[in-house]
Amino acid sequence: MTVVMILCGSAGLSAAVTNAPAPAPLPTPLVPPLSPPCAVPEADIAIPAPLPNVMALLQKHATIHILAIGSSSTFGVGASSLLSNYPTRLGVILDKTLKGADIEIANRGIAGELADTTADRIMSEVALSKPDLVLWQLGTNDALSRVPPEDFETTVRETVRWLKSQDIDVALVGMQYVPRFSLDPAYSAIRRTLRKIAKDENVLYVRRYDAMRFMESVRSNEKIMANDQFHLNDLGYRCMAEHIAHAVIISLFAKPARPANN
Amino acid sequence: MRAPNEIDFWRGFALVTIFVNHIPGIFLEHFTYRNLSLSDSAELFVFLAGWSLRMQVDRAVTLPMWVFMLRLAGRAMQVYFAQLVITEIAVAFLAAASIYFGASFLLDWHNASAIFRNPVEAHIGLVLLTHQLGYFNILPLYVVLVASAPFIALCARYAAPALLPLSAALYVVTLSTGINLPSWPQGGTWFLDPMAWQFIYILGFLIGGKDGIGGLARRHRRILGLVALPIIGLGVVVGLTHFAPRPADVPSPKLFFVFDKTFLSPARFIHLLALVAVFAGNFHFVMRWFAVGARFFSLLGRNSLYVFCVASLLSLAGQIFRFAYGGALITDAIIASVGLVIMGIVAWLSERRDVGRKAAAGPVRASPTS
Repeated sequence: MTVVMILCGSAGLSAAVTNAPAPAPLPTPLVPPLSPPCAVPEADIAIPAPLPNVMALLQKHATIHILAIGSSSTFGVGASSLLSNYPTRLGVILDKTLKGADIEIANRGIAGELADTTADRIMSEVALSKPDLVLWQLGTNDALSRVPPEDFETTVRETVRWLKSQDIDVALVGMQYVPRFSLDPAYSAIRRTLRKIAKDENVLYVRRYDAMRFMESVRSNEKIMANDQFHLNDLGYRCMAEHIAHAVIISLFAKPARPANN
Repeated sequence: MRAPNEIDFWRGFALVTIFVNHIPGIFLEHFTYRNLSLSDSAELFVFLAGWSLRMQVDRAVTLPMWVFMLRLAGRAMQVYFAQLVITEIAVAFLAAASIYFGASFLLDWHNASAIFRNPVEAHIGLVLLTHQLGYFNILPLYVVLVASAPFIALCARYAAPALLPLSAALYVVTLSTGINLPSWPQGGTWFLDPMAWQFIYILGFLIGGKDGIGGLARRHRRILGLVALPIIGLGVVVGLTHFAPRPADVPSPKLFFVFDKTFLSPARFIHLLALVAVFAGNFHFVMRWFAVGARFFSLLGRNSLYVFCVASLLSLAGQIFRFAYGGALITDAIIASVGLVIMGIVAWLSERRDVGRKAAAGPVRASPTS
């Protein structure tokens, strides 16, 4: 898997609606290339969705504030240093890809945290400093704590709607693939719920589980997990950042699919 | 052992609620009052802690101030050591469970990973209370509040009218600026900001008194209860609809208008005060219709620190149990029953020990020559 080109010439999915004169279309960047160890099929990376707020800020050349929030995969447990966690790497990739854009990423990962508590923290973060895009990595700890999927769904759906109602773009970063839990019903149920929420609410969904499963099965010699076989190692975080960057760029610039009847 | 009373009863109620709410996903969680309200048991617990401090201050009126301040400082140390001990036991729980279940990811639960992966800095953070485990973050707040109790007592004795304005000023500054104590080494800030939460502690302290706003509240209980009813009704609506104000729609400083837990936004403590206005003073009804429960909750409330510590560990044990054996109704029933029984036993043992101590001390006092 090598470089994937973006085909369209303007902000397809996510043009901001405004009465002001239309800004000059942004030059379409190349989708950041996936490095060979991180290459996975396009369909396993993400289910894209519009990011209208980020797009509007890009067009205005304004600073984009990204809040990366979640649990250990956001904090970077298993990485050799904090510089190796995914938000830090994502910032570097987005800076390189969206040349000239001013991007600030805040890492608010707390290891082992459940979605319910993160939802409380999101409300505080938004009240204190309104982010433009929230990357919410979640699900694994809720599944292992046996939180009922319907409770999980209520928490996540309400929070996503609350964020969207304030013109804050949201991306749900899904659960990691852990062979031990690949057949665990609670784990699968939370994963399905997460995907359903993303689809219903039309928010970007990063398919970490599918991407990791592909990498584990096709390149088992490339270790992406830390010694505990649960968290990512440096390579795993590098791939996670590449996949999220890919998903964000695709969501920003990919041409929307034409309706079937056109 | 004192007879069951209102404060002990509600403290026991708050402890049981905290125990349940700290086992995410447990079936009983649906029946805790936070589902129908704006505030939860954390607000109730801190409010009652302030009320309880007031009772101590009023009882100690004949004591020299410095003796009483030393006593309060001793209590703060006791709470601080309790936090250190239960955190270390919680860490050991997670470590033992990770070995027993072959599940190293349990070392990562509730922000514990730093203790195992970055122990040098994390242990300093534990002692400084700047590193807190998830669900073990009420006691650090309580430590700060109890540590400030000697100054609150001093102020109450010599400059009582200044207490509320000082507390309100700190609260307003905190919500206006968003200042909070730092977390270290993981970064971020405290989940419950002591500079905001002190306000409800002080309100509990003041309302617990029979003079000042406490006296005013008692004299106008009926009117306050009527005013409070729509607020409680609003809390039910908010709880059912999951409504939360959007910061984009409210003026700055936004923390005053959202329903923020970290900074105890006004809506949350106003709701708690409404609950107090409606339910306070009705303990005789509880004793008449729910005597066994009233006695049990009061038993827990009388021994709140020990029960709180044990309940925190039981909640964690419950979480591990649910991970290992699933979240079925029967699992939850076992966790809840065993948890309540152990909390009751701990409270009973704590009281037996106190009774034994007093009995032993009795003859010594009666006979100074012995």
